[in-house]
Amino acid sequence: MGNTSSTPKISAQDRAILDMKLQRDKLQKYQKRISILTDRETQIAKECLARDQKAKALLALRRKKYQESLLAKTDAQLEQLQRLTSDVEFAAVQKDVMYGLQQGTAVLKQIHAEMGGIEKVERLLEENAEARAYQKEITDMLGGGQLSNQDEDEVEDELEAMERELLAPEQRVLLPNVPVTEVDTTVSSEQLSVRERAKAREARRVEEELLAA
Amino acid sequence: MSQSAPPADAVVFPKSHSFPPFWTIQRVPATRQTQFKHWSNTIQLYCRTLKIWRMNLSDHLSSPLFHNYKLDRWLELEEAQMILEWMASEEGSKRAEWVNESSSGKAGDLAGRTTAWIYWRRPEEWADVIMDWIDSTGQKGSVVTIHEITQGEATTSQEFHGMDPDILEKTLQILIKRGKAQIFGASGEQGVKFF
Repeated sequence: MGNTSSTPKISAQDRAILDMKLQRDKLQKYQKRISILTDRETQIAKECLARDQKAKALLALRRKKYQESLLAKTDAQLEQLQRLTSDVEFAAVQKDVMYGLQQGTAVLKQIHAEMGGIEKVERLLEENAEARAYQKEITDMLGGGQLSNQDEDEVEDELEAMERELLAPEQRVLLPNVPVTEVDTTVSSEQLSVRERAKAREARRVEEELLAA
Repeated sequence: MSQSAPPADAVVFPKSHSFPPFWTIQRVPATRQTQFKHWSNTIQLYCRTLKIWRMNLSDHLSSPLFHNYKLDRWLELEEAQMILEWMASEEGSKRAEWVNESSSGKAGDLAGRTTAWIYWRRPEEWADVIMDWIDSTGQKGSVVTIHEITQGEATTSQEFHGMDPDILEKTLQILIKRGKAQIFGASGEQGVKFF
């Protein structure tokens, strides 16, 4: 029967957990048995009462009571056992987490060691900056690095021309030209006069009213 | 198995069950083949509904499965054996297996064959069902007792609750071969670790 120890996957903890779970199974089976017994005692008590054997019925009920107390006790034990099992399983999980953390830290440390410590990184960055400054110096000295403003303009013009060419003529949307004439933002003299006339009319009306009064 | 199984009248038999020729073993091979297929399905349905894992033919000959009281038709023991024999064959896609196969000598000898496991799921299929349960309940890598799988409170809603211990053993052996499980512990007090 299957107790093949060829694969070492079963640990001592597994065995301990199995033992506890088996114990739990046993308790559950025991509970089942007890509850069947109590049912039977009730039945017996009823039958005895029907046959008017009060003493016997009482005895049966007493037995039943005792068994029920046993049932309550096993319940408490079962709970304890289950709690212990859960604790063990949780501890196993914790152990796994610890192991994972350990592994991760070790790898991280190893990578850092390969990089050679903070001083080395600092030195490397310094050297990098130095090398770049040196390069810039050389470029400046040779003078080939800079373009004149005129050259830059020409380059930009060429780029623009290229972009225009890329936009095929049929894709180009024909838009009306932007108006070149200045927009007159002042109110035209005509409108002004209309408004002035209205004002004058109003004044005159007020005057006439005053006179009439 | 005398768990709180539903009563025998909970089974809704297919129409063919009340069709008189169904109750006479057909002589034409092709017809017989179809008839046996129907019988196989009916037996599987009956066992699945009533959670019968191991069928004793003499116990069930008078049950509504093998005796249609309305039609007043029934199967004789030999006839029922023939059907189970067919179910156990490759042709019947191995939906049954004689329990005392090894002791009963050569195949075709029906004399000692009265009890068979009825596989409405074959052990390989049960293996998948159990693995699915283990997966979906996150029990990979943890230890489970044999008792817990078939009798535990956690599996009452599972199809394999109340499973025949021998079928479970076969199923677990398949899982062990696949490298998905490991049985350990003393005989009778075994646990399974799933991977």
